[in-house]
Amino acid sequence: MDLEGFEAATVPHMNVLYDAALRLAGDPATAQDLTQETYLRALRSFATFEAGSNSRAWLLRIQYNLFCTQYRRGRRMPLIWLDEGETDPSLDLPSPEPGPEEQAVRKLDREAVRRAIARLPEDFRMAVTLVDIDGLTCAEAATVMGVPRGTILSRLHRARRRLETMLLPELGRVQADDL
Amino acid sequence: MTCEDFQLRLTAFSLGELEEDERRRAADHVAACDHCASRVLLDRQLTALLRASAVPAPPATRVAVLEAIRAGAGRPPSSPRRPTRRRHWAALAAALLAAAAVVAAALLVVPAPDPGSPLAAAWSSYHDRGEDGLGTPTEAEAERLFAVLGPASRTPDLAAFDLQRQGWEARELAGHLAAVAEYRDPDGGRVTLMRWRGDLPRMAKGTAGGGLAAYRWGRHTSFWWRADGVVWCLVGTIEQDRLAGIARQLGGES
Repeated sequence: MDLEGFEAATVPHMNVLYDAALRLAGDPATAQDLTQETYLRALRSFATFEAGSNSRAWLLRIQYNLFCTQYRRGRRMPLIWLDEGETDPSLDLPSPEPGPEEQAVRKLDREAVRRAIARLPEDFRMAVTLVDIDGLTCAEAATVMGVPRGTILSRLHRARRRLETMLLPELGRVQADDL
Repeated sequence: MTCEDFQLRLTAFSLGELEEDERRRAADHVAACDHCASRVLLDRQLTALLRASAVPAPPATRVAVLEAIRAGAGRPPSSPRRPTRRRHWAALAAALLAAAAVVAAALLVVPAPDPGSPLAAAWSSYHDRGEDGLGTPTEAEAERLFAVLGPASRTPDLAAFDLQRQGWEARELAGHLAAVAEYRDPDGGRVTLMRWRGDLPRMAKGTAGGGLAAYRWGRHTSFWWRADGVVWCLVGTIEQDRLAGIARQLGGES
């Protein structure tokens, strides 16, 4: 087992995997389970991974398959995570650039975006997550979700129009240097 | 290209997913059309907003995942980088054992518990018992349970949650005397309640302030809490919100 090779190829993508898992599963605990199980599955099949290919897309495909086959069925009701009051400390890290008011607005905006994405149908949400947030191409996202590239584009287009409607106030606050 | 044509291609244009010829025609249109140019700007603002919403993995998640990877690879975090040739068979055997342990743990619980802990014993007990119901403890066992657990040894009535008590018994969980009760619902859903005197498992320590900890694997969900020195563990295959409701009620009572 080439553990060093596996870690070098996969660990840099942990933030992306966790974020995608959180958007799929909807709660931090399940997102952690899903991320962890994705890594264990990837470890077991690392021998089949082609060196030099896109390891992020490979991991996301494993994760999405895992979610569809094992997690989605158990998610009839929203997961209840009872460690209330426990927030992601990274969200409160001060940035050296914006002032406190702007930080607060940005934090509110991020929360609004997360809520808006969470309201999308699952297929739309996953397409937005893979392409707009995780930076996959439409072809890579199509491989992850097992659908044609045109379907991804169509889902993205419709999802983005819905998001525009839901996020109009936040869109007006996007700074030029964010583009 | 008309505005209508461009709007249909807006997402593909913004993402750089158009063929070169189409991309050039779209770019020419945007250069000449203020309305579509503003749409492109809005689309870029949306992309910036979406990218800024990414949530990084919390440090605890990173640690748990890395530990799981190393356990899955059969190597403790602090072990040497590669086994020597002389250790080949020992390393192979260790890897097989570790892989078996990971598979066994992955069936029911994340993260994998310390094999000697009450947590591991509780999961193993839940798993091994399968779908069999329990009997009733002898009078002496019931007295001993009450002596150790006090009122927590009593088997709660969960009829309000549509759960029928199947039986209860005294059981040893990693050296701890535990009261174990089994319930079923009309659909065959299973719920097991275990109580023993001791500390919460390490993974549930974050809730020592009186909250509930919830862990899920596949169709199994467990809730953990501690009251008056007694650890309560509720495990089941019924819907998570039902199980949470039971845990809240029992947690409030205990």
